[in-house]
Amino acid sequence: MAAADASEGLLARPAVRRALLIGPALAIIGAFMLLPLGLMAYVSLLERGLHGGVEWHSFTPEAYVKFLFERDLMGNLEVNTDYLQIFGRSFLLAGTTVLLALLVGFPTALYMALQDNPRYRNLLVFMVTVPFWTNLLVRNYAWIILLRNNGLIDNGLAALGLNPGPLDLLYTNFSIWVGLTYSFLPFMVLPIYASLEKLDLRLVEAAFDLGADRRRALQRIVIPLALPGIVAGCILVFVPCLGAYVTPELLGGSKSLMIGNLIQNQFGAARNWPFGAALAFALLALVLLAMTIYALRFRRAPAGAV
Amino acid sequence: MPPATASPATANPVTASPVTAIDVREVTKLFGSPADEVRALDGVSLAIRENEFFTLLGPSGCGKTTLLRLIAGFEQPTSGAIDLYGDPLTGLPPFRRPVNTVFQSYALFPHMTVADNVRFGLEMQGWSKADMDDRVERMLALVQLERHGGRKPAQLSGGQQQRVALARALANQPKVLLLDEPLSALDLKLRKEMQIELKRLQTETGITFIFVTHDQEEALTMSDRLAVMHDGEVLQVGRPEELYEHPTRRFVADFIGETNFLEATLADSAADGARFRLDTGAELQAARAHGHAVGSRVTLAVRPERVALQAPDDGAGLPGAIDRVVYFGTDTSYHVSLQGLDAAMLVRVQNRTGAARQFHEGDPVRLQVPPEAVQVLRD
Repeated sequence: MAAADASEGLLARPAVRRALLIGPALAIIGAFMLLPLGLMAYVSLLERGLHGGVEWHSFTPEAYVKFLFERDLMGNLEVNTDYLQIFGRSFLLAGTTVLLALLVGFPTALYMALQDNPRYRNLLVFMVTVPFWTNLLVRNYAWIILLRNNGLIDNGLAALGLNPGPLDLLYTNFSIWVGLTYSFLPFMVLPIYASLEKLDLRLVEAAFDLGADRRRALQRIVIPLALPGIVAGCILVFVPCLGAYVTPELLGGSKSLMIGNLIQNQFGAARNWPFGAALAFALLALVLLAMTIYALRFRRAPAGAV
Repeated sequence: MPPATASPATANPVTASPVTAIDVREVTKLFGSPADEVRALDGVSLAIRENEFFTLLGPSGCGKTTLLRLIAGFEQPTSGAIDLYGDPLTGLPPFRRPVNTVFQSYALFPHMTVADNVRFGLEMQGWSKADMDDRVERMLALVQLERHGGRKPAQLSGGQQQRVALARALANQPKVLLLDEPLSALDLKLRKEMQIELKRLQTETGITFIFVTHDQEEALTMSDRLAVMHDGEVLQVGRPEELYEHPTRRFVADFIGETNFLEATLADSAADGARFRLDTGAELQAARAHGHAVGSRVTLAVRPERVALQAPDDGAGLPGAIDRVVYFGTDTSYHVSLQGLDAAMLVRVQNRTGAARQFHEGDPVRLQVPPEAVQVLRD
């Protein structure tokens, strides 16, 4: 009796209940995120093994040094910007993809949100998610079939009587943009749709009523109120784009190495685990930096629009 | 005052200038697919005069808000036309119409400050910054929110938000201000204050107000004229006292105030009045017969406060007995069942200081109904 009372009393305490509720989530984050991250940090500080792997008890900052410097034959350090360039290119490619996804995604989301019929609206949401049903690799190969010389686009144009010859669409920055934008578009459309769907259309009517035409109502009312969704969409596209390696590998050929491919190489062919781990940490640091700047810029999200 | 151009039939030199601001002609609005269409407005015609506080009164679904949205331009009429000072509005998008709306939900822009909300319409019209600052300040002063310009709408109370919506809609100096049930979200005390505030604003700005409400008391106390709507039709238009004292339709008599309905037959009709016979054989006098033929069945409407209660031995009047007495403070209601009729009549008697209540439940009485209290309905 007294024991039951005690356990009930314990459960009734808010602090205990909070800990119980949050416990599972913390355990999962700890086991599957913090632990691997710690392991990665540890590995990045180790000496590489001669035949791959690492020497578990030999510490060296070599991996981080290698990111910015190169040792010449005499053992002196020289600045090497090769890896920085790869990072820069990845950021540029990811940024362009975000812009393209925004240009395509915002009108799509707006169209979806403006549909009166809720069943049609749900059908559209469903259709946006359909590509996820197919493996990313398969989808990228599909783009290869479309874009390659004598592929569907080339042959299709030829069949229409336009014969521009081989367009050389594949293995260019263009094909990477197409592939990345296509892959990550749903991550842009869905958050923007979510914020536009909540938008009170009477506010748009009020803007019309006060003399705003469609363009200015969009500029002054719709976009500012959808900003939280737009920001979320941009982050959701930008971050995975930075680390993408399947699409650049398949659609970009091996011409333009991106961060993802570089890291993959270190754990594969190059057999330099510490350097791979260090690169991954450098990426993490840069993403966190970018997010912090973003968060500071948009800290004051529009009141009532969240 | 501008010269009278409207037809003499609609001109009313006493209450308002006779110039027609909004002319609604034979407007019909259908919603939905042809197979499943809803007739929101059915051949509505109205002439709303300049500087008038005009109210569209009716229950929800009567078409009053649809009519307002047609004037604002959010919807287009299926047929018919709406003119503003003689210029057709039909086909113009909302942002090209010199009318502004106060929305039921206020529709204040949540991401802008109060001042920026008021400024929005001026910006759209391309005012200079100095002019805008000046105007915003004046508008905020007009609605007594001078010190709230920097706040966000969410930081204001319901009544304050309401006033911001008013300031925003009035800032553009619209030719006509449309108000869509603007007071329905406020509590009673605040609503009374805002009623007075709205009247003051209308008088001060001289702008024509078209006010939509389902609250008959609000309509009676605020309007210069009102239109009672039902099922997409305008049933009666007139000054508040006209509609209260002389309703011509059953729905109007029922919707505005309390009414007793009596079925009767027109016995005879003369220039100085008409005689109606109830089924019990008792007779009622009315001032007018409204064109009904002798012998036809009609409905009579009698306001409860126009009926006098008298002792049963007092001679003339309808005999009955008091079923129930309800005390209301300012007055007392008596439910009287009429002798020989399956009907009860409501009688309202004002309570006077010091006077003891004369009648009690179960007492036999006679109801004295003066001829001017008897309204003959068209339907």
